[in-house]
Amino acid sequence: MLRFIGKRLWDGGLTLAALITLTFFVMRLAPGGPFSKSRKISPEVLANIQKTYHLDEPVWMQFVRYVKGLLTFDLGPSTRFRDYDVGGIIASGLPWSVTIGIWAIIVASLVGIALGVAGAMRRNSPTDYAAGIVGIVGVAVPIFVIGPLMQVIFALRLGWVPVGGIEGGWRALVLPILVLALPNIAYISRLTRSSMIETLRENYVRTARAKGIGERRVVWGHVLKGTLLPVIAYLGPATAAIITGSILIETIFALPGIGRHFVDAALNRDYPLVMGITLLYGALLILLNIVTDLIRAWIDPRLRNGR
Amino acid sequence: MRRLIGTALSGLILAAALSFGNPVLADDTLDRGIGSEWSSLDPHVNFDAAAGWIQMDAYEGLVTFDSTGKVIPGAAESWDVSADGKTWTFHLRDGLKWSNGDPLVAQDFVNGVMRTLNPDTASEKGYYFYSVIQVKGAKAIADGETKDPATLGFKAPDDRTVVVELESPNPHMLDIMGGFQVPPLHGPSFEANGAAVFIDPTKVVSNGAYVIKEVVPQSHVLLEKNPNYWDAANVKIPKVRYLVTEDVNTELKRYQAGEIDITYDIPVNQIEDLKASVPDQVSIGPSTEVTYYSFNLKRPPLDNIDVRRALSLAIDRETLQAKIVKGGAIPSYSYAGGFDPDYHGPQIAEATMTQADRDAMAKELLAKAGFGPDNPLKLKIVTTVAEDRVRLAQGVALMWKKTLGVEASVDSMERKAWLDAFYAGDWDVFADNLVGDFAGAETFLAYMRPSAEPGYNWVKPEYDAAMDVAAQEVDPAARNEKLAAAEKILLDDTIFAPIAIEPTRHMVSPNVKGWATSAAGYNNSQFLSLE
Repeated sequence: MLRFIGKRLWDGGLTLAALITLTFFVMRLAPGGPFSKSRKISPEVLANIQKTYHLDEPVWMQFVRYVKGLLTFDLGPSTRFRDYDVGGIIASGLPWSVTIGIWAIIVASLVGIALGVAGAMRRNSPTDYAAGIVGIVGVAVPIFVIGPLMQVIFALRLGWVPVGGIEGGWRALVLPILVLALPNIAYISRLTRSSMIETLRENYVRTARAKGIGERRVVWGHVLKGTLLPVIAYLGPATAAIITGSILIETIFALPGIGRHFVDAALNRDYPLVMGITLLYGALLILLNIVTDLIRAWIDPRLRNGR
Repeated sequence: MRRLIGTALSGLILAAALSFGNPVLADDTLDRGIGSEWSSLDPHVNFDAAAGWIQMDAYEGLVTFDSTGKVIPGAAESWDVSADGKTWTFHLRDGLKWSNGDPLVAQDFVNGVMRTLNPDTASEKGYYFYSVIQVKGAKAIADGETKDPATLGFKAPDDRTVVVELESPNPHMLDIMGGFQVPPLHGPSFEANGAAVFIDPTKVVSNGAYVIKEVVPQSHVLLEKNPNYWDAANVKIPKVRYLVTEDVNTELKRYQAGEIDITYDIPVNQIEDLKASVPDQVSIGPSTEVTYYSFNLKRPPLDNIDVRRALSLAIDRETLQAKIVKGGAIPSYSYAGGFDPDYHGPQIAEATMTQADRDAMAKELLAKAGFGPDNPLKLKIVTTVAEDRVRLAQGVALMWKKTLGVEASVDSMERKAWLDAFYAGDWDVFADNLVGDFAGAETFLAYMRPSAEPGYNWVKPEYDAAMDVAAQEVDPAARNEKLAAAEKILLDDTIFAPIAIEPTRHMVSPNVKGWATSAAGYNNSQFLSLE
């Protein structure tokens, strides 16, 4: 097991190295630079600013400098937000993104699995159709439609929650979490439903029934375990995607997460910040994939031995 | 399974029920939108207008600006200027203090300017002191030739006197003496804590009506009344919170929900509705930003003035703003000072013509240059991706097509790419804009000097000469006359087509009193009150 983890971490490290190198150079192909803004700055002053950020050096030298910094966990200064370094920006934004992300995945899993199981148990019943409709709506209606719509209904009309920002405390997080969870509810419920229908036909389920075990124990003890395998395989990358992919949510709900920084950094050619967040996203994705594999191996002995 | 669903549902209901007691945001706090996140809270570095509002609340310059943009005494209670207009003497108020109780002295203002100019600070703002106004010795310090404060014409002969020596007279001197340009520096704190003294609420020391108390990146900056401010008795609002809301539609909803009292902007497609439903809450006025379409003089046939004039004439500026862009911009036929009541620009014949006459004239001029239906002129307009900018460019292209048969394509690009494209010169028409350094004509005209901005490839020694003449004039009215003469030279060459003066757009809650629009755009919270 340890060897397995070690190998996956090593592979992940290589992937990250490739990601860093590629991002570093590709990013600089985009037209414009971090300080190509005011045309009023005199060339001398501009040169001075460039020097402060080592932008006057050849790109390969900047790369060496960056990698050296990484080895000491220094992500460099931000050129867009002069008050912070990249590490500080990530430290302030990540907790928000993680909080919303984790809650969204919890809500999505609970509701999604429940709907999926309900649908599979009562196929073609009203429950199943209702779950199906929720699924279609969740997948088909984009976040930038459902988000503002929910703001109008729950914040402006009903006044239950704030429109955005973080001043409202946990209430402010309710809508973003729901909106973020919705497409995943849809996907997880569909996944659970089809997986469960398949599992119900498995021989071991039939065996369990033949042994005379009650329906409840068949479902909870046998079917669900088999049903959840593909769901868990989906949840790992989905968690990474949700934590990193809440850019739109953060913008619509004015939350200080890290996704907003990513877009802002890219538009402002804040090279170090783009690098830092790319690195974070990459690492997160790789780690969560490893964790997913471990959980699956733990649930399903076949995966453990057949490796 | 039913139980599971039941649990989930009751959980949701519980959450909904709990949130019924929606927190009413404390009404001793003024909530102001600032759009995107501030780029820096360091007052000697920050160059953003929106972050400038925070700065104006936290730092006071020698002078300050009332809600209408008028210069009023700030840290200096009075000032006098020498007859030649080159030496300004500011007299500080008695007993001025920093927020930590330390005495605020004239040298603190000198230190602030020195830090802005110091190349190590890597600030873009030094140009205020060697370009916008010419303080003696400022350029040498900015260029790193010397670090000796004695060479700078910004001095503190005693604790309550600041003397500024200029190389040439400038009636707009006072516009550059506010908290945005000359925030003082608390030396001991800066030496001990570096830039954290501007950013970290536990270390902040400032001299404005408010002090920074809380900073959450991408969320907000909270300021509280500074009890050590000299005019604290007249500061009515105890707390001011600047809220980041990038999405203008979300911001409007936050306003409607009462979370924001003054918005940063108004979504362009909502202006009409809001004006109809809540007219007294919509605040739209001119800003110091002008939009103009520059022609690439290096590219034939745009080197032909007839072609440029034809293109300029064929733009129906009123229709463009009223029917196509609808963002509240003011159509303009001149370049500078449309918002400055003291400046009377040159007479422009086009301004008083009807659009039909302009169109006829445009057709004639373009035909004279050899273009017509069988030989259409082809152009590329380069603009930014901002929605209203793209719409503007498409509107202009449409008018050129309709009136002149010109085939213009619109190339919209991200802001950074757009800025670089200007110098790369890969454009026929550049959707240009300029934000003035103060609400006066001179800031725009100085920028257009061929010697100051070579990017337009405009060769015109007469213009530089005319501007030099104006720069020596001490009397503001006479100076404006000379400036108008220079503007005539500029406009006569039609190196660009003036389009509009951009607006400031805010929703202002009826609870907020004392709000006014001003082109300068300073709306210090200390002059507002909440009801």
